[in-house]
Amino acid sequence: MNKFYIILKYSFITLWTVFIVAPFLWAVSTSFKDFQSVNSKVTYIPWLDFEPTLEGWKVLIKSPARGGVDIVEPYFNSIFVTCTASLISIVLGTLAAYALSRFTFKVGFVRNNDITFFFISQRIMPPIVLSIPFFIFLSTIGLLDSLIGLVVVYIVLLMPIAVWIMVDFFNRVPKELDETALIDGCNPYQAFYKVVLPNSIPGLIVAGMFCIIFGWIDFFFAFILTFTEVQLLPVKVVALNSSITPWWSLSASALVSVAPLIIVAFVVERYLSKGNLSGALK
Amino acid sequence: MAKIELSNISHSYNPNETNPIYALNPFSMTWENGKRYAILGPSGCGKTTMLNIVSGLVKPTKGKILFDDIEVTNLITEQRNIAQVFQFPVIYNTMTVYDNLAFPLKCRNFSKDKIEERVNSVSDTLKLSSFLNSPARKLTADQKQLISLGRGLVREDVAGVLMDEPLTVIDPDLKFRLRRSLKEINEQYKTTLVYVTHDQNEAMTFADNIIVMDQGEIVQVGLPKDLFERPKTTFVGYFIGSPAMNLFETEIASSNEVNIGSIKIKTNTDLSKVKNKNVKLGIRSEFIDIADNQSTNTVKVKINRIEDFGNFKLLTSTLENKMIKSKIDREKPISEGEVNLYIPPEKCCVYVDEKLI
Repeated sequence: MNKFYIILKYSFITLWTVFIVAPFLWAVSTSFKDFQSVNSKVTYIPWLDFEPTLEGWKVLIKSPARGGVDIVEPYFNSIFVTCTASLISIVLGTLAAYALSRFTFKVGFVRNNDITFFFISQRIMPPIVLSIPFFIFLSTIGLLDSLIGLVVVYIVLLMPIAVWIMVDFFNRVPKELDETALIDGCNPYQAFYKVVLPNSIPGLIVAGMFCIIFGWIDFFFAFILTFTEVQLLPVKVVALNSSITPWWSLSASALVSVAPLIIVAFVVERYLSKGNLSGALK
Repeated sequence: MAKIELSNISHSYNPNETNPIYALNPFSMTWENGKRYAILGPSGCGKTTMLNIVSGLVKPTKGKILFDDIEVTNLITEQRNIAQVFQFPVIYNTMTVYDNLAFPLKCRNFSKDKIEERVNSVSDTLKLSSFLNSPARKLTADQKQLISLGRGLVREDVAGVLMDEPLTVIDPDLKFRLRRSLKEINEQYKTTLVYVTHDQNEAMTFADNIIVMDQGEIVQVGLPKDLFERPKTTFVGYFIGSPAMNLFETEIASSNEVNIGSIKIKTNTDLSKVKNKNVKLGIRSEFIDIADNQSTNTVKVKINRIEDFGNFKLLTSTLENKMIKSKIDREKPISEGEVNLYIPPEKCCVYVDEKLI
């Protein structure tokens, strides 16, 4: 029974790994192919089946005037919008989460849990519901088709994630830690940033990771709130798909799009595997 | 170090509701400068609430707190300069042991030399010197609790050190040594120490004065000897001492005698004015001894069992269908079946409506 379970477990892991890795291998291989190698016949092995070329990669940095697609600017736009919105969301979300975890709020029938749920509910409704209000709002304040406008919208989208994760994290940090800091001579603000916050770094990293992932992969709002002035990476990548799909540059751009998330995952994994998430204050 | 005065303090966690429940009923008390106090009582009796009120973590619903005659009721915790150690170790995980111990001094802007001197002194007392540069999170639970304790003791000018069952997670041998260290610290620095516990032995061996609490009330404050020999209520008699005080429902027989069933017991208490029906006689098992022959206050009891505890024998017997326990010298021979027990009148406590008269 035990052996059967182990075989089943490893079979599933192998299958899942193939399922996850295969598209990447396909993208890596395709990014080094040219038109002929993609469209003539099925090819797998470089130098044997096809002659590898860097053309698919080169077009990513060439300007459109020279026949390229230039994803450099959208790439940095995406980095700017994602990082700025994530940072602001984490700062505001952490403060909100600390307040929700440590103080009791009571407005009519609304209590702390209701306020936390209100934050999460922003993510429950379909994005299309928010698209028109956001469009009108940005157009009213003159921030449509601008990086700052996108940052504002992304803060609204990412802050619930930060609040949700950090409330749960702070709830697991014993209240005695704050109280000890107060007794030791901190004022409430010092207790927060000198004692509670350093103990919450694992939570901040996880919240930051989710904010970066959700900010980086968003296509919907980047698509409807920008036109010609500003373009984010997901929109640019999708726009590559024209009447003749350039699979080679599409694969290369998909790989460079995913690269930052893979780096984030490796960095965060180190913190997660240390078991630091448990709060472990006792 | 300071004299801590609690004046007409009471506290409810739901004061605005129509029927608020009071965790602490109104009381007044003074903790003298440099003394050791133990607050003793069962779980949920209000001990921790009392400590939190003194440290400022909880604001009392009513009453005033004074440190050296200066009112501090409205001062926040950081302004009170008080130390508190919780039941479970609370350490700053991201800091070293040294930084943990130095933290209260750094927060109050002590000089670097002073911080080093105090941290070294406290870490020597608590045997933490060899761990000073280790990350605090890597220490064992009892070492972590020593850090918590160290943070409480590192400030010499503190108004008082409040300890909420601080030795729960510490092994018995170290517990004994620490209690001694705490006493030494108290004698050396004249720090007012307040120690919450539900372990009567801990309270008896640690404190100059013991405060016994039950259901939000302070039922008795006194020296360990007073609490043991003259418990003010039947609760204290039952709670303090092992085994608990023998308590018998009685009727008044004369101005200094009570009846337990058909047996008359003489006491040294004046009972002439007692009209109440709810009268109990209390006698510690330590004061009851085997009598060689029948005389005043000698009762014949049926032996149920004899347990040998090494340093004494615990005799459990029946008196008028009621259980009576007595601690007997282990060398003393005990005949089988029935035995005469002597109940000394001067050690008898008479309770009317559960209160000592």
